Amino acid sequence: MDFIVTFPALVAGRLVLALSPLTHYLRDDHLLSSPLTSYSRLQEGIYLFKHGIDPYSGSTFRHSPLLLSLFSTVIPLNEVTAAFLWTASDALAAWSLVRIWRARQNVSSSSRDSLIAGLYLLNPYTFLPSLGQSTSSFENALCLLSLMLACQKQASASLLALAFLIQLSLPSILLLLPLLLLLISEPTSHLASPFFFKTDIRRITPLAGQFAAYILLLSGAATLVCGNLNWVEKTWGASLTLPDLTPNPGLWWYFFTEMFDHFRPFFLIVFSVHLLIYVLPLCIKFQHDILYACYLLLGILSIFKAYPTLSDPGLFLSMLSLFPETFPYLHHPIVTALLHLHAALLLPLFHYLWLNQGTGNANFFYASTLVFGMANGAALLDSIWAGLRIAIGEVKEEHEVLQE
Amino acid sequence: MRLSVKSFLCSLCLGTLAVARLSEEFNEELHLRPLPDGKLAARFSFSTLLKGATPRHPETLGVEDESQLYTLFPLALGQILREYAVTELHLTLNAGNWNYDRWGYPDEPGVGTGAELWAWMGEGGTVTVDSRWRGLRNALAGLFCASLGSLDEQRTTSPVLTFQPEGSLPNGNASYQLRHATLPSEHVCTENLTPFLKLLPCKSLSGIASLLNPHKLFDADWHGLGVHVRYLESAGVEVRLAFQAVFDPVRAASDKRRDWSLSAVFDRRIERVCPVARSSVIRVRLPQNEVYAIIPSPSTMDKTYATYIVQEVGKPLDVAIIRPEETLFEYLIEPQTHISVHRTLNGASQHAGQLALTITNNHDIQLQTGYLETMPWLLQFYLHTLHAHIDGMPRDDLVKLISYIPPLPHVQPALLQAVLTLPPKTTLWLTMDVVKPFLAYTEHPPDAQRGWDLPPAVFVPFASQNGSETDSDPQLHAVLSDVRSTRMYTPVLLVDLATPDFSMPYNVIIMSCTLIALIFGMVFNLLTRQFVVVRVGEQSS
Repeated sequence: MDFIVTFPALVAGRLVLALSPLTHYLRDDHLLSSPLTSYSRLQEGIYLFKHGIDPYSGSTFRHSPLLLSLFSTVIPLNEVTAAFLWTASDALAAWSLVRIWRARQNVSSSSRDSLIAGLYLLNPYTFLPSLGQSTSSFENALCLLSLMLACQKQASASLLALAFLIQLSLPSILLLLPLLLLLISEPTSHLASPFFFKTDIRRITPLAGQFAAYILLLSGAATLVCGNLNWVEKTWGASLTLPDLTPNPGLWWYFFTEMFDHFRPFFLIVFSVHLLIYVLPLCIKFQHDILYACYLLLGILSIFKAYPTLSDPGLFLSMLSLFPETFPYLHHPIVTALLHLHAALLLPLFHYLWLNQGTGNANFFYASTLVFGMANGAALLDSIWAGLRIAIGEVKEEHEVLQE
Repeated sequence: MRLSVKSFLCSLCLGTLAVARLSEEFNEELHLRPLPDGKLAARFSFSTLLKGATPRHPETLGVEDESQLYTLFPLALGQILREYAVTELHLTLNAGNWNYDRWGYPDEPGVGTGAELWAWMGEGGTVTVDSRWRGLRNALAGLFCASLGSLDEQRTTSPVLTFQPEGSLPNGNASYQLRHATLPSEHVCTENLTPFLKLLPCKSLSGIASLLNPHKLFDADWHGLGVHVRYLESAGVEVRLAFQAVFDPVRAASDKRRDWSLSAVFDRRIERVCPVARSSVIRVRLPQNEVYAIIPSPSTMDKTYATYIVQEVGKPLDVAIIRPEETLFEYLIEPQTHISVHRTLNGASQHAGQLALTITNNHDIQLQTGYLETMPWLLQFYLHTLHAHIDGMPRDDLVKLISYIPPLPHVQPALLQAVLTLPPKTTLWLTMDVVKPFLAYTEHPPDAQRGWDLPPAVFVPFASQNGSETDSDPQLHAVLSDVRSTRMYTPVLLVDLATPDFSMPYNVIIMSCTLIALIFGMVFNLLTRQFVVVRVGEQSS
């Protein structure tokens, strides 16, 4: 079907749902919005800010000061504007995804455009958080926008989008290195034909400087909005120190709920540093196709970041559609799909049983987050496998590909 | 020689006089009052006045303090007051909910359930107000055998609008700070009464204090003790020890009548007078429009009160009120206070809920009331959802937010001060969404499933801001002068927080780490080992 028809239709459908009363029921769901992205907390912060109380003096509000200034001055945040805004952000994300696909295929339009847009807009993992008006939808949109601009070699715009993204969510800083490399390489698929990185790596230095300037600029703006530096600890610090133990589909919250007090700082450091470990190896191994490294890092983030919501794995899974060449080489797609199905059914059920019904306990929900972690892990590992395996291509009868 | 002995004696006398003994005065009073629902309210008040004394100035904390020589004034308390330079102090330990609708305003306004401590302290000197506050609550915890040490920073606020000093603050120009904390889960019992009695000059051996029989007091429907220290500019430092209780004479009586006597209520009579008491008075509020007899005959009597001067009447003294003709007693069910307040926490979910208040104005005229919430971070407000309704119609204009300090986990509670306007004879519904935080497993108390007690909200009905209107309307003036900024405490709330599994720390650490190690290991396995094509099947062998 024609992309020009399907895309507006999908977005219009999304808008109708966003204007429905469904959003009220999804707004405070722990799976869809974390304390860092919740709509209610954003509203609370704006209310406090408008009444002259520093929203960062409490612990409820952990959104970026930029969102605070945006919604308290430019756009008033209410039911209607929110519905339009979140739909627009989803539309931007889907459109960016399609543009990335086109850039990767080096075509101006393709027959798969509608499918790719649909896979983002209709993916329940991205769709439900957006209906619940979690600001993680903005993070996804900024992330895809930044990648799209990088694919189109618009370095400044891309780095600015990334700087905005990091303002909203600190863990996304993992994407900095692959994004810089993407800016000086090609987005087209080279998975099947690996090569050593040809471009002079020193070309990223001015780009990194430009990025640092943007970050400083935005941080300065944020400090100006707040009048002090409290926001750093409350927004960025939260991703590192996990002050709020509200349940989410990730691995951190129950681990640190059950952690012995004197080990807490140690494991916080371990968990934070652990995220950084993956960046360099993935960038080196996939130096011939940096976009694939970006995709894998988003998968890592969706499993291991401090406050994930369903939209993080949603972004990872929707991006899978960009790499159809790897599909024949996936090891165990059925297992991954079933694990995801299993987790997607268990997570809301056990969350409800524990916190609303009172018949289950925290272990039930914890167990389902472990299954969800396994599902995301399986998808990530299979993607890495397929991305490397594709280089060998089809093998003859009675031959098999192994690792030494 | 004789002269020198004389002069020696003389100088000795003068020396004794030079250690300026402050004159002290001890008064005791028992106020007995029948309540509209047949209960009996008793209020013991023991006040010791240290004439001409002033509270210690915080700037003198570094130097050695003047010696404390008291005969009646409780030394244990006096030492604490001087050590931490406390100007005004109020400690109340109560059990049960004071039922304002049935019982009206209490004689002692501090009736919040559990422990409540508030103090006004001067600023200045080397020791900060906060460190003195910490020392004060720990010292009082030791003195009264109560867990006042738990009134830490997580429960301390400074709600100056509601807790104005009851006495005066010396040196009008110096700045004073308020510290206030409540601990609703504190249970009051005999172990708190014993140290309380030790502060009295006659202990519980004689005088009115001899009626303080723990077996009966802690059996009362409502009971609470209070320690109030204030500085009166014209008089000196006053320490007032108060005990307040609501007895049910019907429950204790064998014939199920509401007649009462001291011996029936307290199981004791006054056998002796406290010799050091300057005055020792029992005041009994007389029933109105009823047939009754009061024995023995009081020292003085008017329409509303019978007064016994304990020194004058015969001993043993056993006051009693008998209603010989009463066979049936009808409860008076109309509210006894200007406003009625009910506060509930709605919602079954363990992660969110709604705080709902209904405030009813029982009068024909418009009233205003201060509203104070000092909420520990165990319940976090969504202030943007604070809405007022009257009969289903939104009336947000009736709520005026004065100040809000958001809570910080492990650091400070939330402080919400607002002013509500209550139209005549209407009920205002106030709702606000709340979130319940999730605690680490070490932060839960031993019986975690019981939930956490949340402190009462405090309401202070007060005069309208438009003073001329108050003056011109005699009815309003009468009502408000009657209210006289009495604090009203709502019952405490219990919040049910989600609990983790307390047996799981090792399992969770092991399982989460296994999953992470598994993914990490497999990722690096894939990234570091080389892919090779090998021949499999029969030909290879």
